[in-house]
Amino acid sequence: MPGPARMFKTGRGNQVPAIKRVLIANRGEIVVRVMKTCRKMGIETVAVYSEPDRNLSYLKSADEAYCIGPANPIKSYLCIEAIMEAMKKSGADAVHPGYGFLSENSLFAQAVDSAGSTWVGPPPSILTAIDSKCYCRKIATGEGVPVVPGTVDIISGVEDILAFASEHGYPIVLKLDKGGGGKGIEQVKEEGQAKEAFERLSRIGRMAFGHPESYIEKLIAAPRHIEVQFLADRAGNCVCLGERECSIQRRYQKIIEESPSPVVSKTDREKLFNYTAHLVKAMGYEGAGTMEFLRSEDGSYYFMEINARLQVEHPVSEFLTGIDIVEEQFKIASGEKLDIRQEDISLNGYSIEARVYAEDPVSFCPSPGTISRLQLPEVNGKHLRIDHAIDEGGAVPPYYDPLLAKVISWGESRAEAIEYLRNALAQFQIEGVKTTIPVNILILDSLEYKAGELHTGFLERLYAGATSGEGSIKPLWPNM
Amino acid sequence: MEVIVKAHMPGLVARVVVNEGDKVAKGQEVAVINCMKTELSVTSSDEGIVKNILVKEWDEMEINSPMIVIES
Repeated sequence: MPGPARMFKTGRGNQVPAIKRVLIANRGEIVVRVMKTCRKMGIETVAVYSEPDRNLSYLKSADEAYCIGPANPIKSYLCIEAIMEAMKKSGADAVHPGYGFLSENSLFAQAVDSAGSTWVGPPPSILTAIDSKCYCRKIATGEGVPVVPGTVDIISGVEDILAFASEHGYPIVLKLDKGGGGKGIEQVKEEGQAKEAFERLSRIGRMAFGHPESYIEKLIAAPRHIEVQFLADRAGNCVCLGERECSIQRRYQKIIEESPSPVVSKTDREKLFNYTAHLVKAMGYEGAGTMEFLRSEDGSYYFMEINARLQVEHPVSEFLTGIDIVEEQFKIASGEKLDIRQEDISLNGYSIEARVYAEDPVSFCPSPGTISRLQLPEVNGKHLRIDHAIDEGGAVPPYYDPLLAKVISWGESRAEAIEYLRNALAQFQIEGVKTTIPVNILILDSLEYKAGELHTGFLERLYAGATSGEGSIKPLWPNM
Repeated sequence: MEVIVKAHMPGLVARVVVNEGDKVAKGQEVAVINCMKTELSVTSSDEGIVKNILVKEWDEMEINSPMIVIES
């Protein structure tokens, strides 16, 4: 039985009761992550699971766990009715949506709100507005924040692509207005590809996001993906917890993320923090979030989009700043004013995260199955952190994201962080499913990575080098 | 001769792209399976006519789950 209800002070000097019981509307490692902070804060936890996930061990550590549907995520983790039913039964007074799934779904946020519970995220009306990338691009333009050059309105058809290209040339990028998480991005390298790319994107938009609309961006050559983690409270205070570089990707899914970025100078950082603060204010954003930018080869930064949720790679920012971002999310959601100021934030050392995916390290073919053997690296709390929800004997079902684990290191220098991470990955043994641990090691061992020469074409370039016989991995080129 | 096109990977049926009565070529895509958020093409091993479609969108597939019957 928990003690007397804790009270928080809001920005208006009132007191509101702290969250008592949170339903974590997600699966896998992020549930374990959120539960850890809940335990620290004395918040009770409610987990939800689909039928194939019924044996996940974290379900036993939750105060309550509810089955919300079958394997198909549309009928379980994406099913608002099923989750709200679990909320009612469990008496949860808050929802943490994690990342992916319904984490940026304004209908879900509204349902939680209407039920009188606390949504741990920005208010539904804000989510609805910023769901549109064009809306965010317009806001940025209004604030004097440079955006990736392109249209700030959705296009009506292929004619718009041809018209844009006749003025700006190819290659261009088509992006879904309501897309996100690296989905709904099509490169168009020449006029002949335009119609097919537009139609494919419209179909993906309709199926994955319920909206087919797209807009155009110019393709920035070999960009670096730089993003800023921030916290914003209801009273309008905003602090930035450093920038992360996430340039190492495959098909727009991140593989390695780090903080700080090897290329961001102190002046750059101040500029990015400044852009972020302006954007947060103009959007009326509350909670934890990330502003994503692209940095071109000439050192210019362009705002790309906002990620209105906790992100997979948040641990590197936690290592650098010592701040528990999930704890701050709960406090902000409860109406509490941020008790950290920008001057209080120190960015110490270097932190790097490697994502371990259940994929063949050569073909990248998904590898579901059962983990027959699991040996985790030895964890030294100061230099290493592993976020995961896997068990020896546990199932890796074929219905969800292939992320198995995150291995995160911290060092005084970037070289030290690389060494701790590389050593940990070499000790990490998973059998029964294939994993991308060898890919991570290949990346970390490369001269280009050690030199900090990162850009979003990194992996393709590295594999091109490997086919000349230097690497021990022979990649299947088309699978990049 | 009846040939059964089976799932080569587990996951959910993302879509069936042929109709009963369609002519299919050897190697032609007849369905798509979503396995861990990656779409994988299911192709016909033979040339023939689609006789029966045994699955629909969102059905759960295991390796070798029968999906489509082809009359070749």
